Amino acid sequence: MLWQAPAEPPDVWPFEVRAGDSSGRFVARVIFSLPRVTIPAMLLAVVWQVGESAVPVVMGVAIDRALATGDAGQLVMWIGVLVALYVALTAAARLTNRLNAYAIQLLQHRLRATLSTRVLHPGGGLARAPDGEVVSVMTNDVARLANAGLLVVLPIARIAAIGFIAASLLVTHWPLGVAVLLGTPAAVWLMGVLSERLSRDTREYQGLLAGTVGRAADLVAGYRVIKGVRAEAEATRRYRQASRETLVGAQRNVGLLGRFLVGSGIVNGVFVAAVTGLAGWFTVNGQLSIGGLITAVGLTQALMPQMQSIASASIPNLASARASAARILDALRNTGTETVTPAPGDGTPPEVTPVPVLDVSVSGALIRVRPGELVGVRADDRTATRIADALLNPRAGNDIEVRLDERPAHQLTSAEYRSLVTVAPHRVTLFSGTVRDNLALPARAPEPLEAAVRAAAGEDFAADPDVPVGEGGNRLSGGQRQRVALARALAADAPLLVLHDPTTAVDSVTEQKIAERLRGVRASRSTLLIASSPALLGCCDHIVDLLAVLERPVAS
Amino acid sequence: MTGTSAVAEDALPVADGRETAREVWRLSRGHRLRLAVVGVLGIVSTTVDLIPPVAIGFLIDRAQAGTAGLGTVLTVTAVMTFSAVLGTAGTAVTIVLATRAYHAVLAALREELVARALTLPQHAVERAGAGDLISRSSDDVTAVADAAPAVIPVVTVTAFTITVSLGGLAALDRPYAAALAVVLPVYVFAMRWYLRTGPPVYRAERAAMSARAQQIVESQRGHATVLGFGLGEQRHRTVMTASWAVAVQTLRARTVQSMLNARLNLGECLSLAAVLVVGFVLIDHGTSTVGGATTAMLLVLRLLSPVNQLMFVIDTLQSALASLNRMIGVTTMPVADTADEPPTPRGTAHAVRLRGVAFGYGTGPRVLEDITLDIPTGQRIAVVGASGAGKTTLASVIAGIHPPDTGTVARPGSTAVITQEIHVFAGTLRDNLTLAAPDATDDQLRAALDTTGAAELLDLLPDGLDTMVGVGGHPLTDAQAQQLALARLLLTDPDLAILDEATAEAGSTQSGLLDRAADAALAGRTGLVIAHRLTQAAACDRIVVMEHGRITENGTHADLIAAGGVYARLWSAWEAGQGAGVV
Repeated sequence: MLWQAPAEPPDVWPFEVRAGDSSGRFVARVIFSLPRVTIPAMLLAVVWQVGESAVPVVMGVAIDRALATGDAGQLVMWIGVLVALYVALTAAARLTNRLNAYAIQLLQHRLRATLSTRVLHPGGGLARAPDGEVVSVMTNDVARLANAGLLVVLPIARIAAIGFIAASLLVTHWPLGVAVLLGTPAAVWLMGVLSERLSRDTREYQGLLAGTVGRAADLVAGYRVIKGVRAEAEATRRYRQASRETLVGAQRNVGLLGRFLVGSGIVNGVFVAAVTGLAGWFTVNGQLSIGGLITAVGLTQALMPQMQSIASASIPNLASARASAARILDALRNTGTETVTPAPGDGTPPEVTPVPVLDVSVSGALIRVRPGELVGVRADDRTATRIADALLNPRAGNDIEVRLDERPAHQLTSAEYRSLVTVAPHRVTLFSGTVRDNLALPARAPEPLEAAVRAAAGEDFAADPDVPVGEGGNRLSGGQRQRVALARALAADAPLLVLHDPTTAVDSVTEQKIAERLRGVRASRSTLLIASSPALLGCCDHIVDLLAVLERPVAS
Repeated sequence: MTGTSAVAEDALPVADGRETAREVWRLSRGHRLRLAVVGVLGIVSTTVDLIPPVAIGFLIDRAQAGTAGLGTVLTVTAVMTFSAVLGTAGTAVTIVLATRAYHAVLAALREELVARALTLPQHAVERAGAGDLISRSSDDVTAVADAAPAVIPVVTVTAFTITVSLGGLAALDRPYAAALAVVLPVYVFAMRWYLRTGPPVYRAERAAMSARAQQIVESQRGHATVLGFGLGEQRHRTVMTASWAVAVQTLRARTVQSMLNARLNLGECLSLAAVLVVGFVLIDHGTSTVGGATTAMLLVLRLLSPVNQLMFVIDTLQSALASLNRMIGVTTMPVADTADEPPTPRGTAHAVRLRGVAFGYGTGPRVLEDITLDIPTGQRIAVVGASGAGKTTLASVIAGIHPPDTGTVARPGSTAVITQEIHVFAGTLRDNLTLAAPDATDDQLRAALDTTGAAELLDLLPDGLDTMVGVGGHPLTDAQAQQLALARLLLTDPDLAILDEATAEAGSTQSGLLDRAADAALAGRTGLVIAHRLTQAAACDRIVVMEHGRITENGTHADLIAAGGVYARLWSAWEAGQGAGVV
């Protein structure tokens, strides 16, 4: 088969977004970005659509030349023409659809790559973390905008087909052709007006539906909480209320669909009747032959689907692509780009040692982690979170300063920083796959893996590492999830590791075990442990107690 | 939760075609008159739609015979206009009525689905994974709703058009209808080929799509982890691989559609050729006219266009049906049987009584064995043990979430459970609180928040009780969310409150705060606390130690310390840690 998709993702480069881009301009940039696919597709689509329009014409001519005359030779010839026409239009349709689908998928992939690198996985610092909306932008909006890629193919082919029909009518009888040429834009415009109201309301209804669906997902996601306080009846009542509101929206939307169908059907029917009547009148007058009349009738029949498709598919398609383009642009603009503050002086920046000294200054206090040390930090929740955030993203504009070997962390590129500092956030996220997949994600070598699992007291999950963890790790207990995450952090074997309350869901016996093993697995590398657990803090070289703002060595 | 053993056989059921048909028929009660009108109106308006081709044929015959005048032309035009308007309006009303019934049935079904989802036995949901249930109440509902505008007009129109056009053709000229019947097998074969080839391809496409969405969701939710471990490049590649996997599947699906299109074109070409041949023979014999042949050609084109459309919506139709089967699979599931024992009356000596209770998940090994336990009314019991000892399972059995395999459980009439699972519902803070107590006044809500130490939360939130929280709303910390949950518990005012590690997620200072909140929420009622921090356990009236699904120690803090068993060892380890950190 031609154009079979390669199994490997193609290399795509992200779309450019300029400051003053309007959604319309962005749509244009997207749909014209693949001329090597869309131009052949468009040419083939013209063959396809003109071929479709030619079917009633060929039939009309065959009835006139063969059936009306009783000429068997003519019959065979015109059946041959009909078959040839179908072969041509079927082949053209097939190639067009193939190229169209390929173009749409390539556009989607490229849009997704743009969003993935700039919003979902930005390399450098970013203004704020991507919110849940990015998911719907990267699936629904990307699909809708990419569909606009069809706009340079199908509407042009349809306009070409309408041109063909008008030209054929002009040849058959020029006043008929002129009437069709003048009448078609008016009819398309009318149907477009009718469909506009419908598509606006459809978007509104889809919003309502999405709300109801979201509410169902939210309620079911919290079903444990609901069952815990026996609020099933109340939750059901609330959902029913939302569902009823959506039903009202759906019924209103259906009403508008009905109005559109009546309106466009009447425009259609009146147009066909008028052209047929006109052609009939010219025939009665003797200006048009019977064959001409049949051809005219056939051509008018072919005109209708073309007009309808432009009005009810292409125009709404463009509108929804623009709305989606606006949302995609919003998502792209809401993230900062990486800006590395250059080091003072224009010399080469000072080298950072393999295991640098980490300094964190927080509200007057200094947390210093020398190479190989395990330093504990006790702080109130808010400060603890701020310290973890600052270490996670030193460019986020936090008032906490992070330095590596005396050098401000924001002067390092994010790649440099990440190669030195690994931060395990308190809120555990496991990725779908097995326990082993999760552990192996950041691991640098196989040996630390076993040591890491042991240090995280992971004997239970290490026994069966090929068990899937389920979505978000929901097949594991809270304690297991936390210990898998801890093992993953230790397996990363980072020069500098930051752990934030890594054992809150772990029982006290196991926690003690972890505390005893932590130091061994982090020997010769530095660790900053932000924790509240006395057992964990007990294994540190020294503790910075921000609750008391004092630093004192622990007698070991 | 010791839930590592979820397997495919625990998946939620999917209804078969017969069950789905029965349920849809049941839900359509109240819309059947409307559906009857749809039937009658559909046939009438499609019949009216036949008039224009017949009128054109009439005009051609008159013109050919030379008997047509301006009057004929005007009459034909008027008849065509009139029938177009009438047929269009009738068809539109048919579609509107059918779609309205569809939406009404869908609304009733989705409401039943959510109601059932919330009353299913919790172990059934946990084994299958809540994700499947969430996807059935959201994605599947969307799939069925989205199918309406594509499927209903085409299906209604096609059904009537096929019936009426074939009827009309047969009435006009039987041989033309016979010619079409010869071509019919081409369509039957095309459809059978498509139904065989299409669904697996579309299923693969949809599976690739949900895998893609899953990867995007994971990157978004795990943003901090991705950043902290420097996994950005790796996650980007994973997402892009998932994205292209959809492209590969979609292109396969489009190929199948193109191949269907080719088969339909073959049918169309044969039908038109048949009309020409039959028309030729009939006109030759003088039994048909050129006008009649034109009418037949127009009718065939009119018949084929919806048939082609039907073929193209078949996959939407099929995916909607698959979603419907998944939804009805849930609505026809049996509800939880909570009627095991009559509740213990208020004021009895023991609010909770367990006798010889054993429990295992499905066919898995026993998680609880021979549990006998009395909780005196008004007392607070702590359950302590290592991970996997069966603490949460015991709490679930006491709460009535899991019925015991053997033994008996007696509990008070009203029981509330709070777990470490934190969920803030999308909506206002008030909505979140009144979920458990729909009639509570704002003053009661404020009082409950005050008792759980969350009064300052109200001052922090921009719109007080009206602040939107949950997905897309004002973010709450885990500790705040748990305070909310404890306030909700206060509002339900249960006789027995079970806190399953409800304060475990909090960090240092918050843990004291949450412990105090939990303390306030438990005051004056029977309580069961599953504790991670032993200080929490020590504050309870009694402590139960669990090991491997059995109760091994049961007594007061002082008793158990004196006994020198597991609890005493745990306590000294805890105290050692406590001493190391703080002076």
